[in-house]
Amino acid sequence: MNEQITNLWSVPLLIMIPILTAIMVNLLYNKTRAIRVLSTGAALAVLAVAVVSPYGFHWFAGHPAVNSDGVYTFTASIFSLKLSLEYYYGPLQQILIAVMSLLLLFVVVIANKSFDKNYGPYIAIVFLTYVSAAAVLMTNDFYNLWIAVELGSLLVAGLVASSGTGYAQKAALKYTFFSALAGSGLAISLGLILGITGYANITDAINFLMTNDLGGMYAVLYVAFAFLTLAWIYAGGLIPVHPLKSDVYRSAFPHATVLLQTQSKLMLVAIGIVLLRMFGALPFAREVMLSISVLTMIVGIVMALIQTDFRWTLAYIIVSHSGLVTVGLSLGTYQGIVGGLFQAVNDIVYMSILLLCCEMLLYFGKGTSIKFNGGIAKKSPWLAAFVILGAFAASGIPPFNGFQSELIIIQAALAQSLPEVAAVVLMVSVSTFIALFRAIYSIFLKPGEDYPVGQAESKRFEIPATVFVFLLVLLAISFVLGVYPQLALGFLTESALKVVFVPWVP
Amino acid sequence: MEIKELRGIKGIVAAIALLIIFFGVFSSFLQLEGNVARGISEEYNKLAYRMAPNNLASWVYDYRSIDTLLETGVIYVGAVVSVLVLGRGLVRLKIPEEDDIVKVSGMDLKTETMPVLLKYFALPVVILLIAYGLLVVLEAPTSGGGGFQCGVIVSSAYLLSVIIYGKKSPFNIRKKTLVAFGAFGWGLYVLMGLPGYLATGYWQYNVGADLWSWVSTFPGAVPDFLHAVFGDPFMLALQLKEGISYATSGILPIINIGESFNVIGAICLIFFAFIYGWSESEEDASE
Repeated sequence: MNEQITNLWSVPLLIMIPILTAIMVNLLYNKTRAIRVLSTGAALAVLAVAVVSPYGFHWFAGHPAVNSDGVYTFTASIFSLKLSLEYYYGPLQQILIAVMSLLLLFVVVIANKSFDKNYGPYIAIVFLTYVSAAAVLMTNDFYNLWIAVELGSLLVAGLVASSGTGYAQKAALKYTFFSALAGSGLAISLGLILGITGYANITDAINFLMTNDLGGMYAVLYVAFAFLTLAWIYAGGLIPVHPLKSDVYRSAFPHATVLLQTQSKLMLVAIGIVLLRMFGALPFAREVMLSISVLTMIVGIVMALIQTDFRWTLAYIIVSHSGLVTVGLSLGTYQGIVGGLFQAVNDIVYMSILLLCCEMLLYFGKGTSIKFNGGIAKKSPWLAAFVILGAFAASGIPPFNGFQSELIIIQAALAQSLPEVAAVVLMVSVSTFIALFRAIYSIFLKPGEDYPVGQAESKRFEIPATVFVFLLVLLAISFVLGVYPQLALGFLTESALKVVFVPWVP
Repeated sequence: MEIKELRGIKGIVAAIALLIIFFGVFSSFLQLEGNVARGISEEYNKLAYRMAPNNLASWVYDYRSIDTLLETGVIYVGAVVSVLVLGRGLVRLKIPEEDDIVKVSGMDLKTETMPVLLKYFALPVVILLIAYGLLVVLEAPTSGGGGFQCGVIVSSAYLLSVIIYGKKSPFNIRKKTLVAFGAFGWGLYVLMGLPGYLATGYWQYNVGADLWSWVSTFPGAVPDFLHAVFGDPFMLALQLKEGISYATSGILPIINIGESFNVIGAICLIFFAFIYGWSESEEDASE
């Protein structure tokens, strides 16, 4: 594949197809059939683009790069300063965006089946959430990163508020309020980096730092690092903003949370990699990132253990496992970064299984509280099987994918002489198992009251058959990646190598 | 969170955090004073005049056009989400749910108590504001202002007319039309990337200005008809030190028009929803 091309065809399509779809479905509003056809077709299209796309750059607006002699070039391999806004689509972007595209398709199909009127704006927000995450992952530009994060924050609030309930609106409002602070922080960071280097392009800014003596300006660089870290914490729901993010995960429809947690993981990966590339060499930078990550893992899982509602349990496990992703990245070594990236892929997959199972619970009309349920396994043995196997994957039990990535992170921590970090990762795995099976036992396995079998009630138990197909696909991915991790690692190693050895290369 | 919650330990922590942030930002700005690197801006400025006499337009709508496209999206999404919270597009699963939708009503706007004098003067002011908005958007490539500013000016005209005249406003736009304005605006902006994409492979390449076809490594070629359609109508004669030079801002004026529609649609829709509330039955009836 030719990675030197600067007008890669797929990159604009991954952004513009969802945007145009969002505009159209919002306009269509309650034309159910048209929304269904358009949204499903668009989701399939972006999935196809993500899968078949080659690798390379896209220089938006088609301006060239210019070298120190004033010569203009459209060849990416020549060292020069970019006049255009640059996106990069490589193996890491491919695997993460392809997985997100698959989940987008699932979410769109479920939304089309779950709602029957006025859901054009909802589907629009779903597609734009996809855009924000894809843009954050592909962009090699600080300013664009900021705007994509801002856009993403607003969309999270929209997706949560769309149910219209009081607690959802409250969660959305709180999240929006704090997003203003975090967005401002990212803007300040961008301003300081621009002030120091003069370049919004991340590669050019790193090159400037590596070739110029900053003198007394290192303090400014630390302040920029602090504000970018704040944005990272916020976008990914790390400590201390974990209550806001878990509130968001719990308040949205579970199928929407599938996309929300995917967006969070992608942002954690994208901003985390930018932090490492730009500030990784600064003393204490990685230590700060690692401390935040470890605390997030611990607090998240402790909170998950004390919940009495399956949705809340999942919300806090998502937060805790976000810390697991960032622990790998924060180690900053090749092995740690590979582990963190692999954990992100795995986490997205197995949490989606659990969230879809959680949504199906709503069809039994008993909510998701562990106090008022029981006997679901008897009513729907397949659903019980999926949730148990999903819990195995989330708890790092072989032969599922969670085991492989957690093993790599533990090995990376031990290689860095950080056995305490490895111990915390192990503790999180075990605690995840306990938290999940406490809820699963109460809701699925414990004998429950007999449901009435009248016609109206039996209709309530009709879980959409397509969801079982989606669960099967996700479980198959989880199993395949657990048995043959090389399938995913092949996409991740190059990015990890670049971050460690040639951080200026996107 | 209420103010009284900030008393005690929470307040102390918040105050310390704010102090640290203030100190960090303030000291950084002091250190940057006189040391700001020019970086890529020098290159931008060297070339900007070849597109539009207004450098800002070249930066915002050409070099950084994808940033601006996403910023336009922020305004669009702001409207979609704000109006959603007020009732447009709230969704319920097809199964019984425990919690009810929160009803949000509009403002209690009483236009009959407005002084007669205001009613006489408001209409010409509204007309002048709209005319000024149109002037700002049409001159975007050559002077300060553009789609954003036009949108805000026209939206303020809308707000003024609604406050003074209520639903009998001469500038009364249906909510469905406002949604369509936003969709048309952002859609036009997005689609302006298509000619460049099809001709050169670069999204948002300014086919009207066509600055880079002469570079040997440039991978595409802009057909003459595209160059003419998106370039000639916007051709400008510039009197520079070196003499008269001709330049075209290409697709930038069209993008600005799209931008203005988006901002008008988005902001007016938010005004509409906050003033009148949102009734789903009205929306259904209007479909």
